[in-house]
Amino acid sequence: MSWELFIYFAAGALLFWIMGAIAALGNRHRALSILCTTAGLLVFAFFIAALWHSLERPPLRTMGETRLWYSFFLPIAGLLTYLRWNYKWILSFTTLLSAVFIMVNIKNPDIHNKVLMPALQSPWFAPHVIIYMFSYAILGAATLGALYYLVKEKKVSNPERLMQMTDELVYAGTACITLGMLMGAIWAKEAWGHYWSWDPKETWAAATWLGYLLYIHYRLKKNASHKLSMILLLVAFMLLQICWYGVNYLPSAQQSVHVYS
Amino acid sequence: MKSRSRKIWEQPWGYAEGFIVATGILLTGLMLQLTVGNIEPALFASPVNVIMGASLTAGLIAVYFLLPQNKATKWLSGVYAAVPAIVLLLLLCMILGLTPQLPLSTGRMQASDNLFSRLGWVQMTTSWSFILLCFYILIILELTLLRRTRKKQSWRDIGFYLNHLGLFVALLAGLSGSADLKRFTMSVQKGQVEWRGTGQSGETIELPVAIQLDTFRIEEYPPRLVVVENMTGKILPAAHPESYHFVEIGKTARLAGVSLEIMDYLPHAAILRDSTFVNVVPMMMEGAGTAIKVKVAKPGMEQPVEGWVSSGSYLFPHSTLPVDEFTSIVMPPQEVKKYKSFVTLYSEKGTNLQAVIEVNKPLSVEEWMIYQYSYDNSKGKYSDVSIFELVRDPWLKVVYTGIFMLLAGALFLFIAGPKKRTV
Ligand code: HEM
Repeated sequence: MSWELFIYFAAGALLFWIMGAIAALGNRHRALSILCTTAGLLVFAFFIAALWHSLERPPLRTMGETRLWYSFFLPIAGLLTYLRWNYKWILSFTTLLSAVFIMVNIKNPDIHNKVLMPALQSPWFAPHVIIYMFSYAILGAATLGALYYLVKEKKVSNPERLMQMTDELVYAGTACITLGMLMGAIWAKEAWGHYWSWDPKETWAAATWLGYLLYIHYRLKKNASHKLSMILLLVAFMLLQICWYGVNYLPSAQQSVHVYS
Repeated sequence: MKSRSRKIWEQPWGYAEGFIVATGILLTGLMLQLTVGNIEPALFASPVNVIMGASLTAGLIAVYFLLPQNKATKWLSGVYAAVPAIVLLLLLCMILGLTPQLPLSTGRMQASDNLFSRLGWVQMTTSWSFILLCFYILIILELTLLRRTRKKQSWRDIGFYLNHLGLFVALLAGLSGSADLKRFTMSVQKGQVEWRGTGQSGETIELPVAIQLDTFRIEEYPPRLVVVENMTGKILPAAHPESYHFVEIGKTARLAGVSLEIMDYLPHAAILRDSTFVNVVPMMMEGAGTAIKVKVAKPGMEQPVEGWVSSGSYLFPHSTLPVDEFTSIVMPPQEVKKYKSFVTLYSEKGTNLQAVIEVNKPLSVEEWMIYQYSYDNSKGKYSDVSIFELVRDPWLKVVYTGIFMLLAGALFLFIAGPKKRTV
């Protein structure tokens, strides 16, 4: 599978996802919405699998490749949220966000070649990055919930229910970034001799993690303000953006061992 | 928010006191930094760190059982203390993530004198403010754990204990154990035995393990061809550079608007060049380079050009093929796929074994872990030097215990989710 074909698969998947999102907006087409979203996921998954096969390495090295996974995981997070909470707007948001990442990848594909530097050739590589991308998608869905709340604040019909949804998403997402971070630590021990070196990428991963821990602990108190909780979620998601790609542009990253190509 | 009318320091304490105490810890750290300078990890090497860690843990247990009803310990084991502490640690992490850090071997005198270097924030992880805040968090964690044991236990508490105890163990062992961490690099010539390692501040020390380098091997990826703009040296197309990976002779490809045909390929070649032309002959010897003969056509060009391109080696210069005034075909140096050392290891205790050390596949010998670190870059695949890193970390097992508890705790968190509230 070559990258040139991405546009066709992406268009196909997006078409399904858009149909799924529209079906979800009406109240009576739940099954159709689930079916369409799943079909889109299958199309996208097929492309990733074939690309993996033809590259002879997991497509996880470049920023473009991680964006590919992100645009795949977002509709999954949306679908799971929809299944669990029946929020009819969530699929529209995740589809839109996924489309943005697909556009970025079509406009600006990274060099997709077969080269994988020795430090990345490890059995930890794929689970580490995949679980991180998955958690980013779940936390992205939580962020959408937070934005929805902050925009509509007074008009949200059932804020407790919305908070319960963001709680669940944040618990699942934080669990995944914890797993990803610790797998990264074990891998770093094997590859570089130490499990944590406060490299800029690692530092921002820690900051992101602390951001979500703040949300979790702040929410434990019954008198916690909804608004402040949601603002915490936005801040944590901003930290996540810095960790993901923002570090590449920071002065401190000149020394980083985790900034590739 | 019933407690609006409560004054600061009036019981029960809340977030305001939490921020005051955490900021107080931070300021204490800054005062210490200004008076005594950075923390010198060596001063805390075993047994000092063991004694300190044990007395912190035991001391808090004692405090907790002697003063169970004390308002301050109760507050310290709650969210009102925990959240502000995490906020300040997060701020320090952000500063750490924004400011370029100096290597730990750089002394205070060598650092340029500005606000951040005075506060210790150019070597954040050994600065007083950072370390004190971490220990403050350890105190909160331990008291939280202790208090939870007094409550009625439910299955949900498994997750709580795994996460908080795991973090406590990993953080305490990681922080205090870093004083006992030893890292050396060791550069070994092929056929030689080396006992000496170079420490992080440049000192050379005889180590209890020795490495004999029997063979060193580098595997490279197939060569690539790129089209380069002569003026700037930039790979084309400028917006997203492309490259062509060699597969076999006879293949054709399009690359940045030119068409390529691979005419010949010599994985081991001598590249001889005089002022007029390049001559390439097979050479099965050390120092040989890789060469590809390529035919290039570009729209608007009368005749295709043909010639050899090579990335060169430490013996031969690289050679490029000019296509026209503006562009050339270039072969960038091949990327390294794998490198590994075949070694024989000796130790003072009498170990004598043969092994292969590779990136991501370190070797563990007695209490040392040995990593493939680097090689002689100037000679590339013909390097006859292999560089290793030797690390000794007596606390690793304890840190890993904490990490595995945290992993289990994260799985638990994923499955259990938040506590159900009655809506
Ligand atoms: C691995 C990181 C952490 C995770 C995943 C985590 C998660 C949690 C969760 C889920 C709870 C609620 C437990 C329940 O009610 O069942 C909790 C409670 C709590 N955590 Fe953490 N936490 C972490 C780190 C920390 C840290 C660093 C601190 C201290 C600075 C802390 C202090 C507390 C406190 C004080 C409580 C309230 C306990 C109580 O009221 O009984 N936690 N934590």
